[in-house]
Amino acid sequence: MLALQLAITGLQTGAIYALTAVGFSLIFGSTRIFHFSHGATFIIAAYLFYFVDVSGYGVIPAILAAASGAIVFGLLMYRFIYVPIQRDEGSFFTVFVASFGIGIVVQNVIGMVFGRGYVAVQTSLSKSVELAEGLYVAPLAWIAVLCATVFFAALWYFLRFSTTGMALRALSDNPELVRVFGLNPKFISACAFAIGSLLVVPAAIISGATQGLNPAMGHHVMLISLAATIVGGIGSVPGTLIAGLVLGLAESLALLYVESQWTEAVTFAILFLFILLRPSGLLGRSATH
Amino acid sequence: MEAYLLNLAILISIYSILAVTLNFIMGYAGIYSLAHAVFFGIGAYASSYTALNFSASIFITLPVAMAIGAALSLVLALPALRVRGEYFVAASLGLQVLAVTIFSEWKGVTGGIGGLIGIPPVNIAGLEIYKPGEFIFLTVVTLIVVLVVINRLVHSSFGRSLQAIRDSESAAAAFGKNVPLIKTISVVISAALTAVAGALYASYLAFINVESFMLDTSVLIMAMVIIGGTGTQAGPIVGAALLLLLPSVISYLDFLPQTEIGSIQQIIYGLGMALLMIYRPGGIIGRKKVTSAGGSK
Amino acid sequence: MTDTHTSSSDVLLEIRGLNKSFGGVKAVDEVSMDLRAGIVTTLVGPNGAGKTTFFNLITGELTKDTGSIRWLGQKIDRIKPYQAARKGILRTFQDLRLFNDMTVEENILTSIEPMSFPTFRTRAQRAEQQERVEYALERTGLADKRHTLANDLAYAERKFLSMARILATDARLWLLDEPASGLDPQSYDRFLDILRVEVKKGVTVCIIEHNLDIVISISDRIAFLDRGRLLADGDPETVLNDPELTAIYFGERA
Repeated sequence: MLALQLAITGLQTGAIYALTAVGFSLIFGSTRIFHFSHGATFIIAAYLFYFVDVSGYGVIPAILAAASGAIVFGLLMYRFIYVPIQRDEGSFFTVFVASFGIGIVVQNVIGMVFGRGYVAVQTSLSKSVELAEGLYVAPLAWIAVLCATVFFAALWYFLRFSTTGMALRALSDNPELVRVFGLNPKFISACAFAIGSLLVVPAAIISGATQGLNPAMGHHVMLISLAATIVGGIGSVPGTLIAGLVLGLAESLALLYVESQWTEAVTFAILFLFILLRPSGLLGRSATH
Repeated sequence: MEAYLLNLAILISIYSILAVTLNFIMGYAGIYSLAHAVFFGIGAYASSYTALNFSASIFITLPVAMAIGAALSLVLALPALRVRGEYFVAASLGLQVLAVTIFSEWKGVTGGIGGLIGIPPVNIAGLEIYKPGEFIFLTVVTLIVVLVVINRLVHSSFGRSLQAIRDSESAAAAFGKNVPLIKTISVVISAALTAVAGALYASYLAFINVESFMLDTSVLIMAMVIIGGTGTQAGPIVGAALLLLLPSVISYLDFLPQTEIGSIQQIIYGLGMALLMIYRPGGIIGRKKVTSAGGSK
Repeated sequence: MTDTHTSSSDVLLEIRGLNKSFGGVKAVDEVSMDLRAGIVTTLVGPNGAGKTTFFNLITGELTKDTGSIRWLGQKIDRIKPYQAARKGILRTFQDLRLFNDMTVEENILTSIEPMSFPTFRTRAQRAEQQERVEYALERTGLADKRHTLANDLAYAERKFLSMARILATDARLWLLDEPASGLDPQSYDRFLDILRVEVKKGVTVCIIEHNLDIVISISDRIAFLDRGRLLADGDPETVLNDPELTAIYFGERA
């Protein structure tokens, strides 16, 4: 029964990881921008939701605030950091460092405003319900899985059937092709940032209610996103999704064998095994070049 | 006041060693590590453990720290350097997170969260160095030795290979460079020299715990290198001095909340990193435009 | 790098039934070819014919799907690019890939130092290396730019630096990927002169080139590739006078 309990928790964690990581993977895969401040997007969304909710405006305004905050931050990063850098041949290094720097700024500004300790979103949805003897599941777990399903279905539909979505998929291989479609590559890149940032919103809100928030958690978010992107295969959205789920499940099921402070080590071990044995990831193309 | 300045000078020279050794792999080999504090920590713990349990002689503690730092760096370098640069960033971030857990859990060696106390002072052939006025010579001399070693390496055929790899991996390979091997050697050298800084730091403070070796430290060292100037000789030292002087400068500004000095410092260097990348990617010391540092082709 | 001597009719590189496809598109399709010592072979064909892929397969930058590659009779199908270089197979890149933040002299020097470990050179080794660097600098006319960063060079100078890197080595086979494209007539002459002198010294060259004047003046042999297939492989007159091939070539260009 413990294993089942952990599997369900793992599914919830996995759904959250998948949402976060797919956001990063989508941005990186299509624009080739190493958006290291994706973790900052996550904490901005989480704290905006927390702030509006605690202030008593209700859940719907809080969700809207979190979503618009995330999208605006993603777009601002693209427009005012990455576009200027890429104007003169932005290397991996410059993009990474600038993005990293902004991540530090966001973490500390939020720490100054909201404090550096843990805060948690209070909701009755995080109270566990006994489903069977010894099996406790909070409604939030189902909400997490449902959110992930709905968002991924929408994303799949968008990437598969809309012109913008198809252009997004073509962007990394061939920006010229995007122009042939009659679309502006910069517009498509901005779309990638908006959608990628939006995807972390449900993950951020649910994490706020289940584990609590901390301004420094952006780094954990980035570790998960990077690990899932690599394990799934760089450039593969479905791969990242599966990898996110696998990492969440693995972290949770590992509790059968190790204490909770070692769960991040499990992520690290999986990441290392993949880099060692299958660097192209689950569904990715060759990684060496 | 004099004690305060002396302490600051010692910390600046220790952090300069960290920045110079990170710059060696970042600026010359194009390897971006978020795990530099791990090797700093390994050096500190390894030398402290040796000093507490076997001998405090610098001729034993330093080699032990360097050897363990070098050996453990292979754990990161061997798998992660065979593949693209993004993988190394991810793997080093993962290692940093894992190392913090190990540093706080492995009580027998690291003392757990509480850390190690009563670390003996540096012992050079029977001479114990613990007064800051004497210790500063030790750290400055070590910094100079590290600078000379790295300077020699950078201007050797090995250093040219590193820079060639940084500028174009495929062209370097096409001219006979065994790219993964060269990168691995550079990481091992960097880790060994970083461990020296850890050993000095531990014996200077006589106390260490995991807080000095967390991700924040790795980030701080990276910021020092970037702000000073990646791939330059003086840049990392200038960066280390600037960022360590920053908190004192902030505390002089009365209108800023004193409890938030740490945060303000981080905001300043975070913003500094982003703005430099847009307007002056070479850093304060570096050339105005770096065109291809970390080029991917 | 090897220094065994072979007579000029010896086969340096023997390629049999080479195949490589990318996601269903055949980039190199059953190509068989011999590169003989001391001979200049020109690869011609429309863009996308698989010429650069062919180079990438020889140097190990890409791994073939099927087929075999032999260097001096020895199988080299699985070698990595740095191993190919150490065997004496060197190449230039269409997009040059210079070491941009290093000086001209350093670019050349590092190209003739294959070692991976920090090592010390004896005075004699140092002198010998410097001699080769000077030779490459002098032949390419870059001597007074020796301390300039590669990145600050003009277009033609960058192309010559790419040649100087290979010129300083003792490689036996040069794979040149459009080394003369975009050069002015004066630079053309310098380039042709460099090539002639080195070929006379025994270097074997395989070159990708579009300019027919250059093709005619340097080729001992022309190999015509189209959509991955080797359509013709023979002496220049025969290949260039084949109406079918010229139709493909100019049809694609028009």
